Amino acid sequence: MRLLPCALLGLTSLASAAADANLTHDASRNTLPPSTFTPPPHFRNVNLVRNINLEKSYPRETLNVVIENIAAQPQDAYYLAFEPGTLGQIGGLEAKDKKEPERTGFTAEAVEDSSSYYRITFPAPLPPNEQLTLSITYSTLAALTPLPAQINQNDKQYLHHAFSAYAPSAYATAKQKTKLKLPTTDVPDATTLPASLNAEGKEDPQKQGTSYTYGPYGEQAAGALQPASVRYEFTKPLTHSRLLERDIEVSHWGGNLATEERHWLTNRGATLKTPFSRVTYQQSAYYNPPSSALKELRFPLAVGSADAYFIDDIGNVSTSRFRSNLREANLEAKPRYPVFGGWSYSFKVGWNGDLGNYLRRVKGGAGESYVLKVPFLEGPKQAEGIEYERVVTRVVLPEGATNVHYETTIPLVSATTGLHRTFLDTRGRTTLTLTAVNVVDDWREERAALVVTYNLPVGARFRKPLALCAGALALFAVSWVVGNVDVRIGRASKGLVGGRKAA
Amino acid sequence: MALTDSDNPASFFFKGETGRNTRGLLRLIILCTIAAAAVASRLFSVIRFESIIHEFDPWFNFRATKYLVQHGFYAFWDWFDDRTWHPLGRVTGGTLYPGLMVTSGSIYHLLRFLAMPIDIRNICVLLAPAFSGLTAFATYLFTSEMSESPSAGLLAAVFMGIAPGYISRSVAGSYDNEAIAIFLLVYTFYLWIKAVKVGSIMWGALTALFYGYMVSAWGGYVFITNLLPLHAFVLICMGRYSPRLYVSYTTWYALGTLASMQIPFVGFLPIRSSDHMAALGVFGLIQLVAFTEFVRYQLPTKQFQTLLRASVFLVFGGAFAGLVLLTLSGTIAPWSGRFYSLWDTGYAKIHIPIIASVSEHQPTAWPAFFFDLNMLIWLFPAGVYMCFRSLKDEQVFIVIYAVLASYFAGVMVRLMLTLTPVVCVAAAMALSQILDTFLVASSPEDNSTDTSSSKANGAPSTANGSANANAIKDKLAAAFSPDTLRSTKSPVVGIYSYLSKSLIAGAITAYLLLFVLHCTWVTSNAYSSPSVVLASKLPDGSQHIIDDYREAYYWLRQNTAPTAKVMAWWDYGYQIGGMADRPTLVDNNTWNNTHIATVGKAMSSREEVSYPIMRQHEVDYVLVVFGGLLGYSGDDINKFLWMVRIAEGIWPDEIKERDFFTSRGEYRVDDEATPTMRNSLMYKMSYYNYNALFPAGQATDRVRGSKLPAAGPELSTVEEAFTSENWIIRIYKVKDLDNLGRNHQEAGAFEKGNKRKKAGKRRGPRVLRVE
Repeated sequence: MRLLPCALLGLTSLASAAADANLTHDASRNTLPPSTFTPPPHFRNVNLVRNINLEKSYPRETLNVVIENIAAQPQDAYYLAFEPGTLGQIGGLEAKDKKEPERTGFTAEAVEDSSSYYRITFPAPLPPNEQLTLSITYSTLAALTPLPAQINQNDKQYLHHAFSAYAPSAYATAKQKTKLKLPTTDVPDATTLPASLNAEGKEDPQKQGTSYTYGPYGEQAAGALQPASVRYEFTKPLTHSRLLERDIEVSHWGGNLATEERHWLTNRGATLKTPFSRVTYQQSAYYNPPSSALKELRFPLAVGSADAYFIDDIGNVSTSRFRSNLREANLEAKPRYPVFGGWSYSFKVGWNGDLGNYLRRVKGGAGESYVLKVPFLEGPKQAEGIEYERVVTRVVLPEGATNVHYETTIPLVSATTGLHRTFLDTRGRTTLTLTAVNVVDDWREERAALVVTYNLPVGARFRKPLALCAGALALFAVSWVVGNVDVRIGRASKGLVGGRKAA
Repeated sequence: MALTDSDNPASFFFKGETGRNTRGLLRLIILCTIAAAAVASRLFSVIRFESIIHEFDPWFNFRATKYLVQHGFYAFWDWFDDRTWHPLGRVTGGTLYPGLMVTSGSIYHLLRFLAMPIDIRNICVLLAPAFSGLTAFATYLFTSEMSESPSAGLLAAVFMGIAPGYISRSVAGSYDNEAIAIFLLVYTFYLWIKAVKVGSIMWGALTALFYGYMVSAWGGYVFITNLLPLHAFVLICMGRYSPRLYVSYTTWYALGTLASMQIPFVGFLPIRSSDHMAALGVFGLIQLVAFTEFVRYQLPTKQFQTLLRASVFLVFGGAFAGLVLLTLSGTIAPWSGRFYSLWDTGYAKIHIPIIASVSEHQPTAWPAFFFDLNMLIWLFPAGVYMCFRSLKDEQVFIVIYAVLASYFAGVMVRLMLTLTPVVCVAAAMALSQILDTFLVASSPEDNSTDTSSSKANGAPSTANGSANANAIKDKLAAAFSPDTLRSTKSPVVGIYSYLSKSLIAGAITAYLLLFVLHCTWVTSNAYSSPSVVLASKLPDGSQHIIDDYREAYYWLRQNTAPTAKVMAWWDYGYQIGGMADRPTLVDNNTWNNTHIATVGKAMSSREEVSYPIMRQHEVDYVLVVFGGLLGYSGDDINKFLWMVRIAEGIWPDEIKERDFFTSRGEYRVDDEATPTMRNSLMYKMSYYNYNALFPAGQATDRVRGSKLPAAGPELSTVEEAFTSENWIIRIYKVKDLDNLGRNHQEAGAFEKGNKRKKAGKRRGPRVLRVE
C-alpha cells in the first residue's frame, strides 16, 4: 500500500489528458480548479463495487459506488480518481444514478491541470449526509499488453492487465470489492493477496469460473492503491484504431446518404517471434484455430445500404464480399494479409444509404428545416472489440445549409463547422466536424446517435444548376468571341480562308 | 448521301448552306461517337477489374505525377529521387519526359479549380482513353488533308479509335508516355501538312509548338525529328521546292528545336546528337536551295549552272567533313545503342543485354501485324498506292511515313504503335475510295447528284490548287468541264450493276463488322489485363482475382520501416516504388547497367557472395517473384538467365551463364540442376520451404513442370519475412550480422545443434601475452 502525493500527479500531465480537458460544452462552469489539484474531501464512499470486464480487447470498468456527502454544504461535483498516467486512455466515461437510470443531467469531464481526475457533476446538488448511488462506466484503451510479447504464429496469446485491487479514489472508502471478468479459465498468473488484507479473511482472488474477485476490503484512506495483475489467455487480435475518419455526406437531390470510413488499424497483440511463415498459415487454415491475427472485419450496415466498397491506398481489395438483402446488409472485408501483432493495415470502406431513412423534414419549423439522425460511429463489429484512439466524424450537409445544431451522447473533444467545396460547388457545403477520443466499439450505431438539425433555404437548392448554366453560357460566349478574332497577317487570300475553315 | 428527291421536305437540310451545316453537325456527331467508342473500348480493364494503374512503367509515371501534384512544378523539375537506385539516387526531374505528368497535373488542378476533386489516380487511369478520343479526331483532320473524300477522314478516325495496335498502349490504366504521345504525333503531322500546304508561319509555329509538347512527352519524338526533314528533303529532291516549304520548315525547325531544348532530359541533344543531325542538315540544305532559287532569278542560266555546281559541292563537302570531324572529336554524340538495335536486330543481344531482355524490344512476328491491325494491313498498301496516283506534297509524306514506319514496326514490337496511324490513314483512303465508288445508289450518268453532293460536302480546298484531282474528281471533271487537258478526259466509267454494288458493299460491311469484332476481342483478351492483378476462373465460372502483388506490396508499405531498402529485379522497381513506397536498388529506368548487374550478381551468386553485396547496399528486404505454385510463368526463375547474362557482362570471371546449364545444355531446376544453380540465392529464395506444402518428395514446380529435389534449399543469411497467398511474391529479410561474430552458416548450424566442424581449423601455437 502506498499513498501517492497528489502534488506529484499534477506534474505528470499528459498531452492527451490536456486534449481531454478541452471540453467546453458546459458553459455554466468556468471556475477551474487550481493547477496542482486536490479534490476537497466532501464525500465518503460507503460501498464500492468495481467490475473489470476483460472479455474484449479493452477493459471495460463499471464502478457502482454509494457516496455520501460528509461536507456541511450541498455538493454537486464528485471527483473520480484514476491511476497516474491512465487518464489519457480513459474513454467513454458515463455516469448515472443507479437507482434512477432515467435521471439525466450527469456530466463527466476530465479535470484540467490534473492528470488523474474526472469530475462528475450531478443534475442537482447532493445535500449533506445524503447518499447517492452512482454507476460509472468507462473503458481504458491500450491497457492490455501481451505477455510474452513475442509468440509463434500458432501460439496462444496471453494478456497482462495491471490494476489496483483497491479502486483508486479521491475519498475514503468504507467497503469495496473488485471483480474481474475474464474471457477464459486459462489464467496462468493472478496476483495473490494475503488473507490479512481481506475483510472476510479470505485469500484473494476468489475464483468462480471465469470471474475473479478481490475483496471485500475494509476502510481505506483516500488514494490507497494495492497493485495487482492478472495474465490470461486471449488469442484474438487487439485491434487498435489509431484514427478513424468518417464522412457522412447528405445529398438532397440524390436522396442519398453516403458514408465513408477511413481506418488506420494496428494489431497491438503479441508480435511474431519468427517471421511470418505462409506454410504454417496455410496449414492452420484447415482447422482454423483462434489466432491473434486479424483476418476479417465485418461491417453490419443499415438495411438497404448499397454500393459498398473496400479499398486501400493501392486500390480495391478484392477479398471483400457485400451481401445485402431485405433483413440485413453485411460487408465482409478481409484485409490483404492477416494482420498479426505489431502489423498495421489502413483502408477505406464506404456505402450509400437511402436518405429517407435518416432525414426528416420538420413540420412547422421556420422555412425548410430538417433533422438528420445518423450514427456517430459505425465501423466493423468484431466479437473481440475494437478501440479507437481518435474518431473524426464529418457531416457534410448540402450547400447553403444554415443554422446547424447537433446533439449526441458521446463525449466530444471538439466540434467545428466549416465549408467543404466539392462537386462543382460555388460556395462550399456546410460541414460539421466532430471529434471524439478514446472510443470503443461499444458506441456503435444506436448508442451514439448523432442528431443534426439544419435549415436549407429553397434558393440554395437551385444555386448549382444556375451556376452551371451561367458557366456553360460564359464558355460559349468566350469561344464565340475567340472564334471570331482575325489573327491573319496581311490581307487574306482565298486559299487561306479555305484552309482555316477546314481546320 | 445521294438524296435526289428535291420534293422531299428533308432535302432542305441537305442542300446549299443549310446542307453544309447539317453535314458539319452530322460529322461532329459522328466524330463524338467515334471518340466515345474509342474511350469505351478501352475501359475493359476498369469494368472487369478496377481503376488501377497497369504494368510497370505507368507506376513510375503515376508516382511522379503524385509528386508533381503534391510538391508543385518547380520541386518536380528539380526532383532528386533518393528512393530509387539506392544508394546512387536518380535525378528524376532531369531524366524524364515531363509532358505526361504535367498534362495530368494540369487537368487535376483545372478540375480542382472547378471544384471537381477527382482523385489523381482516376485522372491518370483515364488519361489514355481520353487522349485516344482526341487522337481519333486528330486522325480525322490529318486524313481530311490527304483525301478529298469526306468519308476517308471519318473512316480513319474510327480505325484509329479501335485499332488494337494503338489500344495496346492506351487502355485505361496504361498511363504511359505513349498515351498522349500518339495524339501529339498525329496532330503534329496534321499541323505540318497544313503548314506545308498553306505555307503560313502560324501553322509552322503551331507545328513547332506541338512538336515541343511531343518532345516533352515521349522519346519517340525523334521519329518526327527525322520524318519531317526527310519529307522536306524528298520534296526538294523531287524538285518541289516552294516558298511554302521553306517557310514551314524553317519556322518549325527554329521554333521546334528551341522548344525541345527546354526539356532538361533533351537539353542540347538537338545540336549534339547524331539522331538530330538530319533535321539540322536539311535546315542547312533548304537555306542553300532557297538561296539558289534566289540567285537563279538574278543570273543568266549558264553562269548559274556553273555557280550552282561549284557551290553545291563545296558546301556539301564542307558540311559532311565538319560532321565527321565533330563526331570523331566527340562534340556530336554518336548514335545511341537503342538506335543501333533498330538497324541490326542482333546488336542488342550481343552488346546490350538489358535492352534485349525487354520483350517489347524484340523483332515483330508476322502474325502480330494481323493481330494488331487485322484488315487494315491489307488495305494499307492499297492506300499507299492511291497516294502515288495523286502524288501531292502531302501524299509524299504518307508514302515516306509508311515506308519508315513499316520498317521500324518490323524491327521492334513496340514501334507497331507508330505504324498504326499511317496504316489507319492509308487504309481509310483506300476504303473510302471503294465506298465512294460502290455505295452510290444511282448510276454514274446521274452526274448532277454526285456533283452536288461532292461539292456540298465541302471537301477542303487546298492552297496548291487542285492540279491533281483524285479518281472521282477526274471523272467528274471530264464529264463536266470540256476545257481540261485531253489526258484527263476519260470516258465516264462506273459501276452500273446493282448486284456488284451490293456485293461489294456487303463484303465491305462484313469486313468492317469483322474488324470491329476482332478489335474488341483483341482488346478484351490481350490488352486489358493490368498484370498487377491476375484473373482466373473458379470451377463455377465466376471470376477469381489473384492479388498477390498488391498483397505483398501493401504488406511492405504498412509493416516495414519507411526507409527499408528492397532489392528486387529491376522489373519490379517501379511497382515497389509506386505501391510499396519503399526505396529500391534498381528499377525500370535502367540507367545504370552496373548497378543492375550488381543485383543480378547478388541474385545469381552463392549466399556467401551475395550477403556482403547486400550489406554494402544496405538491403533490408529481398523480393522475388515465384510462380511455381500457381503456374505463373512470368516469374524470376524464368527471368533468371537475364540476370545471369547481365551480371556476366560486368563480372565475366565470377558469373558464367554456362554454369547454370546442365552438361546437356538444359536449364533445369530439379535434381539435375547444376550446383551453381542450386546454390544461387535466387533459386534458394524461390524454393525455400516450398516442399513443406507437399507430401515428402512430391514438390512440383508447375511452371517448369518438374519435380523438385526432396530436400529443399537452406537459407542462412536471409530469412523469410512474408509470402503472399499464392506464393507469387516472396519477401526475405536480410539478417543482421551475428551477435557473436560467427558467420551465418555457423550460426545456423549451431542453432540446429550440429557439431562445429573442427577439421582444418588449426590454430597457431598458443602465444603468451608479452608486452
